[in-house]
Amino acid sequence: MSAGEAPVQTATRTYRPSMGMGWWLRKGHYFWYVVREFTALPLALWLLWFLVEIKRAGGGAAGYSPHGSTAFVVFSAVCLLFALYHSITFLSLAGVIIHVKVLERPVSSRLIVASQFGLWAVASIVIGAVLIGFGR
Amino acid sequence: MAEKRVIIKATRFDPDRDEAPRVQSYDIPFADESMVVLDALNYIKAHVDGSLSYRWSCRMGICGSCGMMVNGTPKLTCNAFLRDYWPRPIVVEPLRNFPVIRDLVIDMDDFMHKLKSIQPWIIRKQELPLGAGEHRQTTAQVDEYRQFSQCINCMLCYAACPVYGLNNEFLGPAATALARRYNLDSRDEGLKLRLPVIASSEGIWECSFVGECSVVCPKGVDPAKAIQQTKLDTTMRFVLPYGNRE
Repeated sequence: MSAGEAPVQTATRTYRPSMGMGWWLRKGHYFWYVVREFTALPLALWLLWFLVEIKRAGGGAAGYSPHGSTAFVVFSAVCLLFALYHSITFLSLAGVIIHVKVLERPVSSRLIVASQFGLWAVASIVIGAVLIGFGR
Repeated sequence: MAEKRVIIKATRFDPDRDEAPRVQSYDIPFADESMVVLDALNYIKAHVDGSLSYRWSCRMGICGSCGMMVNGTPKLTCNAFLRDYWPRPIVVEPLRNFPVIRDLVIDMDDFMHKLKSIQPWIIRKQELPLGAGEHRQTTAQVDEYRQFSQCINCMLCYAACPVYGLNNEFLGPAATALARRYNLDSRDEGLKLRLPVIASSEGIWECSFVGECSVVCPKGVDPAKAIQQTKLDTTMRFVLPYGNRE
């Protein structure tokens, strides 16, 4: 810098906006994202409750009766809705995430999503059959 | 017939006088159906208030300079038509999640630093002499990365990303999409140099897939897709035998 040259002026102060607590209510897209993330919490609580019920089964078959508790049945029904919402949104995004090629050609997103739902159905049937089989 | 008019509510912030931004309303003629928000700002600057500050350049959705919040959504103002908002007032704010320097001008230093950190250029282990000719690619090889190469660095995706808003250490959508663009390029050999940045805890793993970045992109780039695919690729590199091969 020569003697007469003024120093370069830089911004001395900026304003930093904050997100605020209600950012997720600004748009439907944000709201449903938070709902999707939130669904993990009741599912975790349901699993904890289910573990307690299993522990009770340690005292004998008479101690294991989750369906006898109205609160557990209602909570399970609510959790099932959350689980379905979480699973459907997750599997629907599989077509975005998975990038597969067969014979050097990319597999379409729709086919990937359909295969994920198909695998989900098969897994549900197999697990259901195993549980019903053991229950008899 | 009465002249058609539109109200523009622009954010004003003078760092030497204001503690926080304020809103100033301008009632201006809506003379032409093809007017965009940038035209309205230019009208205000030329005829009403020359002190209004904002960035712009090409006026045709190429340079990515004129990104602002228009009625709460990140938009290129050269591509936001007044007719889509009229007769409601149009609220124009600086891009969200960035520090405001003055009025509608944001500080983009953080983004520029992140952009540079992923080394968005072709990296070769050994450069070939010019006489060796071009690095030729097939159409299929170009198609691998074409979508991600459309990014114009307008930062709308950062303004839409709540993860970046809550944690500005996050590498963010555009930088990751550009990293993927080069990692998918058959001429590039720089993946291992970029991995420490993109696969860090503030890189792809910070993203929780809100997906709004892809919704607001004016060029049809899907940064959310780039991030999720990179997550899958880096996991496969870790899990699969020989996954770390180049």
